[in-house]
Amino acid sequence: MTICKAKYALLLAAVCMSALWSGSARAALGSDAASVSVDGASMHGDVQSEIRERYQVLKISTAAGISVREYLNKDGIVFAVSWNGPVPPDLQRLLGEHFTTYAAALAAVDHPGVRRSLRVESSGLILELGGHLRAYAGRAYLAALIPGGIPAAEFL
Amino acid sequence: MRVTQILVLLATTLLSACIGGSGTTAATNNTVPATPNSLTVSVDSGPAAATGAINHAYVTVKICTAGSKTQCASIDHVLLDTGSWGLRLVGSVLAASGVALSGETDAQGLAIEECVTFGGGQTWGPVAFADVSLAGESAAKLPVQIMDDAGTSAPPPAACGAGGTLINGVSGFDANGVLGVGVFAQDCGAACVNAAAPLPIYYGCTAAGVCTAENAALSAQVTNPVAMFAADNNGIIVSLPNLVNANGDASVQGELIFGIATQVDNALPATGLTVLGANASGDFTATYTINGVATALPALIDSGIDSYAFNDPTIAVCATGAFIGYYCPVAAPQAAFAVNSGVGVNNATNTVDFAIADPNTFVANAAAFIDLAGGGGSTTFTWGMPFFYGRKIYIGIDQRVAATYTGPYYAY
Repeated sequence: MTICKAKYALLLAAVCMSALWSGSARAALGSDAASVSVDGASMHGDVQSEIRERYQVLKISTAAGISVREYLNKDGIVFAVSWNGPVPPDLQRLLGEHFTTYAAALAAVDHPGVRRSLRVESSGLILELGGHLRAYAGRAYLAALIPGGIPAAEFL
Repeated sequence: MRVTQILVLLATTLLSACIGGSGTTAATNNTVPATPNSLTVSVDSGPAAATGAINHAYVTVKICTAGSKTQCASIDHVLLDTGSWGLRLVGSVLAASGVALSGETDAQGLAIEECVTFGGGQTWGPVAFADVSLAGESAAKLPVQIMDDAGTSAPPPAACGAGGTLINGVSGFDANGVLGVGVFAQDCGAACVNAAAPLPIYYGCTAAGVCTAENAALSAQVTNPVAMFAADNNGIIVSLPNLVNANGDASVQGELIFGIATQVDNALPATGLTVLGANASGDFTATYTINGVATALPALIDSGIDSYAFNDPTIAVCATGAFIGYYCPVAAPQAAFAVNSGVGVNNATNTVDFAIADPNTFVANAAAFIDLAGGGGSTTFTWGMPFFYGRKIYIGIDQRVAATYTGPYYAY
């Protein structure tokens, strides 16, 4: 586990703690905070933490200008991810086990490539893509895990 | 040569003066620009290999092997896309045309290939040089992307097209290619030139097919051909008529005009023009209101999108029929609006009213629909093809000047 290295000193102690009982988390959405740190390392990005009233945001930013935000509920589970930058992030990594749900939902969309703005909803996963060359943005969330009362607009 | 051009100009000036004097308003059709700068745009059901397209605007693009006057072909049904930059051709279509393009290589002699994300899919394939002609305009040795649907180049890296999302073939876009003529000259720009960790867009590929992301100079990047024209290179105008039947027309014909305020046929109107400056990403702002809450979103006027694309959870999504995923308002047509705001010097504000119909009431098998809205994501607002019907849309290229306006901007 590399997550408690100095590069990620900004991560809260809780993050390091959670890593102890997380097992080998590989991807973020639906996983715990340790997986965020793995994402940060894979993107060669810095990770910063921000505590809000009912959730925590871990922000990964890379030198290339890609920004990823991962939202954790009180149980330490990532319930939403959002991103923007000159390229989209590696969605296979970011969505983890939910990527297959996304790929299947995408396959059912007529001409997903042309739909530069796209929303797919399947098995509790909601994923929104937007943007174009030079500026991509999007988000994915698990509706059932959102802390009560938080409007979806808050984790854009 | 020059004298001839002046004479033609004089003649056209006199002609339009005479027409103006007689009270006719159709002066544009009777003037002959010095360089033919107008290309027919057709909205129809698509290329033979992928019919059933809706709200796709097509042009025919002439390409030649760089430096050749004889190794040429006209590729029809290339998607006119104001939301991207650069020409991309389907590899199998190019091969069938008999025109071979020489591939671009980097300083180490590696073949340059590219991965580009369009919505939920990616195109993958080599960058090659072509001489591209559009109407009377030409761009020599233009870097274009060959979308490798036949798998004849190096295979895409794992991150490109993951989960079966490659869209290289004719069915990916319902088109034989994509002509990106939006607000930028290069498709990636500075972000791909000097990055310490190269973006996963341009790759150097060995003969063995191993590809590694690398930077690409601006001159090596896939480039909007308009920016490379000798003249008429400061932007484009897309001019489409309104629909005859609001519930759907089988086809629509209009024009793609090169240059803004450079010739008699692309003048800016003296009054009534809304000019929306765009930011470094190519977006202006559209503010859309849901349940009294207004949200400002990055926005585009984008002919590559078939609908008004945005997210409004208060509007029902079509669950059955031929338009699953688009909006099916319970009380259709539903009136809607968004407020456009320009960024920077060209900071006009303009409210646009539009309507959202139930697409299940559209004319069957028609190709052009004006009241079509889609379930887009909530991170952007896109004025897609419906916005183009009945309008002249001006798109100014970054850093290029037309009269008093400097790109990037969108105007209508």
